[in-house]
Order: sequence, then C-alpha cells, then structure tokens
Amino acid sequence: MDSYLLIPFLPLAAFFINIIFGRTLIKDKAHWVSILAVFGSWVVSMMAVAEVLQGKTVNADLYTWITSGGFKVSVGFLIDQLTSVMLVVVTTCSTLIHIYSAGYMHGDKGYYRFFSYLSLFTFSMLMLVTANNFLQLYFGWEAVGLCSYFLIGFWYEKKSASDAGKKAFIVNRFGDFGFGIGVIMIFLTFGTLHYIPIFGAVNGMVGQTVDFLGMQVDLPTLIALLLFCGAVGKSAQIPLHVWLPDAMEGPTPVSALIHAATMVTAGVFMVARCNPIFSLSPVAMDVVAIVGAVTALFAATIGLVQNDIKRIIAYSTVSQLGYMFLACGVGAYGAGIFHLYTHAFFKALLFLCAGSVMHAMAGELDLQKMGGLKKYMPWTYLTMFVASLSIAGVPGLAGFFSKDEILWLAYSGPSPVGKLVWAIGTIVAFLTAFYSFRLIFLTFHGKFRGSHEQEHHLHESPKVMTIPLMILCVGAIASGWVGIPSLLGGGAHFTEFMKPVLGHLEGHGTHAEEWMVMAISVVAGLSGIGLAAFVYLREGDLAATVTQKFRFVHQVLWNKYYVDELYDFIIVRPTIWIAKNVIVGVTDGKIIEGIVNGVPELIGRFSLWLRSIQTGMVHQYAAVMAIGAFVVIAMVLLW
Amino acid sequence: MTLNDLAPLIPLMVIAVSSVIIMLGIAFYRSRAFSGLLTLAGIAVAFITLFGVQGTRQVTSLLILDDYALFYIGLILAASFVVALLSSDYLEGRRENIEEFYILLLLSTLGSSVLAASTHFVSFFIGLEILSVSLYALIAYTRNELNIEAGVKYLVLAAASSAFLLFGIALLYGETGTMEFSRMSSGISAQGINKGMLLTGFALVLTGVGFKLAVAPFHMWTPDVYEGAPAPVTAFVATVSKGGVFALLLRYFIQVDMHAYPSLFGAVAFIAVASMFAGNLLALLQKNIKRILAYSSIAHLGYLLVAFLAGGVMRVTAVTFYLVAYFITTLGAFGVVTMLSGKERDADAVEDYQGLFRHRPWLALIFSAMLFSLAGIPLTAGFIGKFYIVAAGAGSALWLLVIMLVINSAIGLYYYLRIIVVLYAQPGHSEVSAVSSLPLTGSLVLVLLTVLLLWLGVYPEPLIEMIHRMTMRF
Amino acid sequence: MLAEGIFIYLAAAITILSVLVITRKNPVHSVITMLVLFFHIAALYVTLNAEFLAAVQVIVYAGAILVLFLFVILLLNLKEEAVARRYVGPWPLGLMAAVGLFLAIIVSLDSFVAGPKGAFTTEVIKAETNTKALGKILFTEYLYPFEVVSIVLLVAIIGAIVLAKKRLRS
Repeated sequence: MDSYLLIPFLPLAAFFINIIFGRTLIKDKAHWVSILAVFGSWVVSMMAVAEVLQGKTVNADLYTWITSGGFKVSVGFLIDQLTSVMLVVVTTCSTLIHIYSAGYMHGDKGYYRFFSYLSLFTFSMLMLVTANNFLQLYFGWEAVGLCSYFLIGFWYEKKSASDAGKKAFIVNRFGDFGFGIGVIMIFLTFGTLHYIPIFGAVNGMVGQTVDFLGMQVDLPTLIALLLFCGAVGKSAQIPLHVWLPDAMEGPTPVSALIHAATMVTAGVFMVARCNPIFSLSPVAMDVVAIVGAVTALFAATIGLVQNDIKRIIAYSTVSQLGYMFLACGVGAYGAGIFHLYTHAFFKALLFLCAGSVMHAMAGELDLQKMGGLKKYMPWTYLTMFVASLSIAGVPGLAGFFSKDEILWLAYSGPSPVGKLVWAIGTIVAFLTAFYSFRLIFLTFHGKFRGSHEQEHHLHESPKVMTIPLMILCVGAIASGWVGIPSLLGGGAHFTEFMKPVLGHLEGHGTHAEEWMVMAISVVAGLSGIGLAAFVYLREGDLAATVTQKFRFVHQVLWNKYYVDELYDFIIVRPTIWIAKNVIVGVTDGKIIEGIVNGVPELIGRFSLWLRSIQTGMVHQYAAVMAIGAFVVIAMVLLW
Repeated sequence: MTLNDLAPLIPLMVIAVSSVIIMLGIAFYRSRAFSGLLTLAGIAVAFITLFGVQGTRQVTSLLILDDYALFYIGLILAASFVVALLSSDYLEGRRENIEEFYILLLLSTLGSSVLAASTHFVSFFIGLEILSVSLYALIAYTRNELNIEAGVKYLVLAAASSAFLLFGIALLYGETGTMEFSRMSSGISAQGINKGMLLTGFALVLTGVGFKLAVAPFHMWTPDVYEGAPAPVTAFVATVSKGGVFALLLRYFIQVDMHAYPSLFGAVAFIAVASMFAGNLLALLQKNIKRILAYSSIAHLGYLLVAFLAGGVMRVTAVTFYLVAYFITTLGAFGVVTMLSGKERDADAVEDYQGLFRHRPWLALIFSAMLFSLAGIPLTAGFIGKFYIVAAGAGSALWLLVIMLVINSAIGLYYYLRIIVVLYAQPGHSEVSAVSSLPLTGSLVLVLLTVLLLWLGVYPEPLIEMIHRMTMRF
Repeated sequence: MLAEGIFIYLAAAITILSVLVITRKNPVHSVITMLVLFFHIAALYVTLNAEFLAAVQVIVYAGAILVLFLFVILLLNLKEEAVARRYVGPWPLGLMAAVGLFLAIIVSLDSFVAGPKGAFTTEVIKAETNTKALGKILFTEYLYPFEVVSIVLLVAIIGAIVLAKKRLRS
C-alpha cells in the first residue's frame, strides 16, 4: 500500500521541484525531473496492476481529512480493477507525452513552467482516479480543471488562448455545479462519501423520492443526473461540448494528454465508478445513452467539414467520448471503459502526430495548405495512418475490438434505447472513418499546397518526438488484444477483468446476429475510408462540387450548428448586458443618483434649490445604510 | 467583586498595560524597533497568559472567559501579532512618529478581545468603541489624502452605525429590563414576548453589527476604506475587527435563541444572500486588488452567515474554522500587498502584479496560495472551511442558501483566477514591482502563513478537534 | 394634559432645531442652534425624572463641548465661500430612510407596554432619586466599564494627537 503513494506523489514532487527551482537552477533541464517522476509512477502503477491482476485490490485510508460528528472523510486510495486500467492509461500516456514535450516545447520561454504544470496535472489526474471517496474525487476533478485552464492559456499572449481557457473554465462551472450538488445529495442520503459503503447501500435508495426545490423527484434519478451534469461538462458532451474544440489553443501535447487521453475521460470514469447508482435509474441510463449517441453523431458530422487539423481531432474526441457514454448508458460499462482505454492510445497518437505535422509546418493548422507530407515525414505518416485505421475500426486493431463490443452490447443488451443508439453508433463509425481519412489524405497525400518557404522547411521531427509516436502506435494496434471477443476465439479478458467493479452485461443474441453487427460496423468503417479515398485521392474537385451542391448543410456544419452563436445570444450577451447596465449602475451609484435627481423633480419647486447641492459619497453611504436598516426592520416585522 | 475576579482578566490587562508602557516609553526613548518589540512581547505574554485561565470564569455580569472566548481572543492576538510584524517595515519611512501606531494597534486589539468575551451590552458597546476609535486613527495613520478620506468616511459611518446599535440596545433593554445576554432570553419569556419592539431591537443591533462586519446592505464603506487605509491596517480591519464582532454575534444569538424568531432568521438569510451576490458581482468589475479583496471579504462574511444560520453542533465549529481560515488567508493576501507596496502608494492596481512570478516567484506562489484558499480550492484551508459551511448548511436543510453559496463560489473563482493568471503573465511596466529587497520578518511571516494554510488544508483534523473541544459548551 | 403639552412642545422643538442645525450655512449659527437644542433635550430629561442627566447635558454638552466647537470654528476663521458650502447630501434618500425608519418604529411600538421592567421601576427611582440610583449602579455593578471607559478616552486622545501633530522633520 505505502509504495502506491508514490504513484500520485512523485509527479507532485516534480511539480514542486520545477516550480521552485525551475527558473534559476533547472531551466531547460526541467523535463528530466518531470519525466523521471512520471516514469517512476508508471513503474509503480504497473506493479499495482500486477497485484490487481492477481486479485489483490486495495482500499485503504491514509488519514482522516475531515471529521464532524459521526461523519468522516479520509484521504484514501482505492486500487481496484477500474482504477488499475485508469492508472495504465494515465501513466503511460503521461510518460510518453512528457517525453514528446521535451522535443515539442524545446526552446519555449515557459519551458520549466510547462513541465511543472504537466506534472501537477498528472498528480491531480492520479488523485482523481485513485480516490476512494467522492470528496477526493471532487478535489481531483477541480484540480485537473484548473490545470487544464492554465495549460490552455499557456500562451497567454495569444488572446484566443486565454479566451479559450476562460471558456473552458466557465462552461465547466455549469457542469460542476450539478456535480457538487450531486455529491452533497449523496452525503445527505448516505451520511458518508466513501465509495464502498455507499455502493453497498444504494439499494436502500430505490423508490425514495426527495423534495428538490419544490418537486418530488426520484432520488436515484436525481443523484445520477446531477452527477452526469458534471460528466457532461468535463467530457464535453452536448450541450456543454463547446469548450473542447476551443481548448485546442493550448500546446499540442496538452491537447493529447488532457483533452484526449485523460482528463476528458474523467466523466466516463466517474459514471462507470458510480455504476451502482446509475443502474438504479433507467431514466438516467437512457439519458446518458441518448446524450452520448447524439453527441457522437453531432460531433462527427461537424468533423466532416472542418479544416483545422487539431479541431477535427477534437471533434473526433467529443464524438468518441459520446461513444463511451453511449456504452455506459446501455449498461455496458466494461465496454465503455474498454473503449476509453483503447481510445487513449490512438487519440493521443493522433494528436501527437498532428503536433509533429505542425512542428514541421511552423505551426500551420489548415489542412488546405498541406498535402504530400508523406515523403517528408514517413514516421509521422505511418503512425498517424495506423491510428486512423484503429479509430476507423479496421479489424485487428485496438479501436475495432472496443467499438465492436459497444455496438454489439447496445444492439443485444436490455436497454430500451439500445437499437436506436446502435444505429446511430454505426452511422458514426462510418462518419469517423471518413473524416479521419479525409485528414490523412489531405495532409499526407497529393501535392503540397503551402508556400515555398514552408515546403523548404519540411522535415521529420526529432527522435525524442517520433519514438513516443511509435510506442503509442504499438498501443493503437495491440491494446485491444486484451479484449478479443469469444466470437473471434478470444477470451474477452478485459470485460471479465472488470466484472467485479462494473458488472457484466450479457448480450442476448445469436452468433449470427453478432457476426452481422460486426460485419455492419466493419463495412461502415471500410466504406468510410473508401469514400474518403474516392473523394480526396482522385484528381479533381469532387469535394468542392459536393460542397457547392449542399451549400446549406455545409454552412451549418462548418459553423458547428451555430451553437456558439446561440449561446452567445442567449447567455453571454444578456449576462454582459446585465453586468453593464445593472451592476455597474449600482456601483457607479447611477441608481442612487437617479433617485437623488429624480425625487427632487417630483417635488417641483424645491428642485432648483437642490440642484446646486453637492453629492457627498459618505452621505450616500449613510443613507444606504439607513435604508438597509429599514429593510431589515421591515423584513423582521412583516415576514 | 474581589481580586480573585481579576485573575481571569490578566490577558486583557496585559494588553492594556503594554499600551501604557509603550506610551510612557515613547516619552523617553523614541525607537520603532523598541516599541515594536514591546508590542510583540505584550501580545505574546497576553497569549501565554490565556493558558493560565482555568475553567469558565464569569467576571461580573459583563465578561466571561470561557473556552470559546479564550479561543477567539487567542485568534485575535495571533492576528494582531502578524499585523504588528507586517506593519513595522511598511511604516518605516512613510511617516515619522511610527511608535504611536503600536499603542493604537494594541488598544484596538483589546477592544476586539473584549467583544469576544462580552456577555453584556455594556461591555459590548465599550469594546466596540475602543476598537472603532482606534481604527479611525489607524486608518488615517499615514495621513495622505486617501488615508484621511478613508478615515473620515469610516468615522462618520461608524458613528452612524453606533447610533443604530445604541437605539437597538435601548429598545431591547426597554423590552426586557436587562442588558445581560443570558438574562435577556429569560426576560423575554418572562415578559411575554412583545414581538414588535423586540424584533426592531434585534434588527437595529443587527444593523450596527452588520456595519462592522461589512455585510450587505451595510457594506458601502468597505471598498473605500480598504483601498484608503494603509495595507497592514486594512488587514487588521478585515480580520481582527470582524473576528471579535462575529464572535459576539454568534454568542448573542445562541443565547437569545435566534431560531425562535423565524422572521429574524429570514432577515439574516437575506443579508447573507445579498452579501454573497453584492461582494462577488461587484468584485468582478474591479481592477484594484484592495477593492477586490474588500468585495471578496463581503462575500466571505455572507458565506459565514450561512453557517451562522445553520443549527446544530456543526454551527460553531463551521463558523470558527472558517474564520480561522479566513484570518490566515486575508492576512496572507494583505501581507503580500504590504510587502510589494512602495513608499509612494500601495501596490493595489492589478497591473502592479503583472508578471510578479518572473521577478518574485515566492511572493507570487504565496499570493496564489492565498487566492486559491479564498476561492476554496481543495488542499487549502479555505476549501475545508467552505466544506464545513456547506455541510452545516445542508445538514440544516438550508437548500436555497447552500445553492446560492455554490453559485457564488463559482463566480468568485473567476475573479480570483483572473488575478492568478496575471501573476504568471509577462511582466508589465509598473514601478511598484521594482521594490528593491523584501524585508526578512515579513517574508518569514508570509511563509509561515502559507505553511499554516496548506497544513490546515491537508490535515485540518487537529484544529477541528481543538475547536470542537473549545466550543463544546454551545 | 400639561405633561403631554410640554412633551409635544419639546419634541417638536427638538426636531425642528435638529433640522436647523444641519441646514445652516454659517457654522456659528449651527452651533448656536445646537446650544438651544441641547437645552431642550435637557428639559426633556427633567420631565422624565432624570435630573442628573439633565444637569450633565447642560454642563458637559452645552457648557463644555459647544464652547469648544465655537472656539475651533473661530480659530479656523472660515472664509466666506467655505461658509457658504452646505453639505446636505442626497436628502431624498435620507428622507426615504427617515420616513421608513419612523414607520417601522411606529409599527413596532404599537404593542409596547410602557414602564421599565428591570430592577429600577419608577417607584424605586422616585424613592431613591435618579442621581443616587445612577451613582449606586455606576460604582457597583458597572464599576469595571466605568473605569474602562478611560481607555476609550486614551485612544481618542492618542488618535487625535497622532493625526493632528505637525510633521517634525520633512
């Protein structure tokens, strides 16, 4: 147990060392501290995983954090099957991305700051996944959000970057508000915040209703939906998805680590962790499934037409996260986590490849200015191609197994919305394959469309960047092999492994049906690739013609369904209006002045006499105080 | 009354006597260091003598030295100690005659301590006046235009609030025939509750107290005075003066059971919500650090009132812990402002902090820690405090208030983070950031406060245990 | 009937005089008006059987403090334009507050039962006289606070000196 403490605290130590000594002593050696620390926690994590594989789970309290009366919250760690998978994902991706960053961020003036933030993030994320109670989870939840805020705005000189940071922060407030209330509700219901006693007692909740702001609501549904609010914010689901694409303003390794592999999946992790609560409420489950499916479709369609290389991958992330929620919503938590795990590898790889491309293109993001990069950067091309095959669900690669399991369980599971979300999921699989290969073909194939100067500088990235790509590439290929379904002669080890925590959902269907579902999804994926090849590999401007023909659809997709504009119109502008006209009005004393100037006019002939009177602030303050006293007395007397 | 009665008052007397010694000392030997040392020694001795007070000692009907009072007096003394340390370097070179500052500081500490131990309206009022009158002079101490303006504003408004308070006390006395807190509740039930007058009396007392606590709608003075006063004095106003008054408010409304008056409860809830929103929304639009901290303190007192409204055993613990966290954080934040302030003016513009991390990384880290605590980010004392308040509120099913609190914390987070981002940005061109070297004592104090802040955030258990023990009587 | 008449006269006079104090342009006029005001307040105390308070009011406020005020004003030797500036501030707000508070007090007084309720009933005070009763309680029960008030004075003196003192070196 004690050695497990190293898992989160090594990165924390690295953070402190870098932030304190980084500026003066360590400077451009900062990566060594962080990389060693995170590699250390990777090693310990692997030991932990080995223990868990032998069936030894840990649930231990380090010390009591807060007590009051009979209520106690400890700082403690729960290392079980679910946590160990998350540990693999977080520490592996984090280590590789740390190494990659040493090349990518080389020469940046905030070098040591970047690594200290990255370490702090790793610490927070590890605290989040290893927590054994909701309060510690909440701590990790807020802390990763803060790190994300700082890292998105890392290049604060760029206004767009700091705006994106703010946006991520504000949008997440909405989700976290619900999450916070949900945690309070759990505390009130169970009198504790520790997972094990809560999940042991959930059945007592069945049928209870609670008076929430005047309405009688089913308790499990309420709690589950409140928790899901938090997940929607953190994992960028509809309607709070708007922050993630903008978050791409941050450095690319950040996008890979935080906004693809780890932090954004925290929502899925939390829903899976709370599966005993969610499973009690069919309503909440259906909401999760539908939100996931709709988000998956919605984001995939937007991804079809974008030209910004990172944003396409960001929409792809939103879409794949939707997939994971879809899985959780139909009860296939194991499949959802399986997809989380495989997705982390191929999506981190996609981002890092995009970073590598940007590195070569001097920061260029526009697909239309790329092309033909294949011959300049073979490794990047190769690895990105494999990652795209994996996300497209080509058989044998990681993405195939997890996606297939989700689709099969959605189709065959007991969920009433299962067939619907299966259909949506299959369409999404087609769209995903299409936009992923559109990206590949536009970037690496054809002729180079950028300026001569850019062409002159094209080069493969240094080894420190390409080696992590290759390692992740192995993950994108092989990480799915732990979960080969029995239909294909595998043992479905992954789901079996997760069974103690997440339960096991049996699909009810014949082998024939299972073959059919698999075949449909493979065909969908392959035809997506084929269509992309047909449109973008041939000479000619088929894409432009289609765009021309479906101008309206293209416009809507290009503008991301106008969601940002809608929010701007219904939320941002009214808020600013109120702040400007009401709040500033009060601070500036305009309202007070209005009364001061208004009342004399009513009184007529006195007004001229009064106009000359100077308004002293102190008088105003005293008058406000007196009125306040009057209000309080009136309330006390008349309540 | 016998000599025996005086024994428990020794801590208070030590403070009073030290102020007189310093005054006499100045007549013979003017030295900042000497007066400063005497002050620190006086506060330290007073603090130590607190431990000599055995059991609960009622001294006449006016003061009670129970564990609760001792805890709060200890807190007040500790805060004054920090302010005394911070102010010495600050005042050097700003004006001559620094030494009298310490006399005023000690006496206002005395006033605040008296409040924490009061069980009677007379001691309450005298304590309040000792506190206020010394504050008038302290706020205007360096005598520049802003100081004087702030001092006069505070003088006029505090006098007005005292008038409300006195009128309220008169009404309560007229109704119950006593000014003792403990007999007041029995007086109320004996006389048959004549509600109108009693409630008006409560409301007026609340007005007077609300002014001192700077809760909406009695908060109007706060930003001006915070901005105008010298930075260490601002720290003092924000902590010591509010702490004593809040201790008294809590004691009074526990003895005169507030929950028996639903309308009074409603009025306090209104004040709490109004303070949270007024503080946080107005802070959003501010560009001056001292004013931001002023508005944030308004909001924080609003949060405190939520815990104050909660019933049950959690109430006193929650309030007290939050106050401790608030003290540490506020002293730390104003400590940073004090350290950065040049001779010409205080470092209170947000631009003064731009890129602070580049040339003063330690100070920037400390300031970030303080802001994180104000925002209630986990691992800081502020988070535990807020957690207790939410738990206390939720435990008493004050849902609306808890939701308001959560919303407001979210709003608050935004402006705290805005400052933090500025700290780590590219350095701007501000003359203030070029202060040559930081004084050693101040730096040590700040480091100590930060360590305390994190310690309480990570391992609050011992303090909570202690608070629980000290406040068990309620 | 007579008592009521006197009270109404005093109350009305006190109100009017108070308004006059804060609306005079010339500070000297203000102070003189205040002097008259203080005498009326003293008279009000007399009607309440509080002759000691009445005497203190006249001796301390009217006799000592107001004379000090006058001295200060004369020493400052205000120029004509400074004299002409009036600070009445946002009086409509003040009026609102005043009317509101007045109504609130009226409402709350509605059910008030007159007469002191503590140890000092009207009979006790009549038997002992106001001066004696006040003296007794001040030097027994309230001895501490009576002594401690000296600290308030100390603070006030130090504060005033610190703020008013001329700069020694500069």
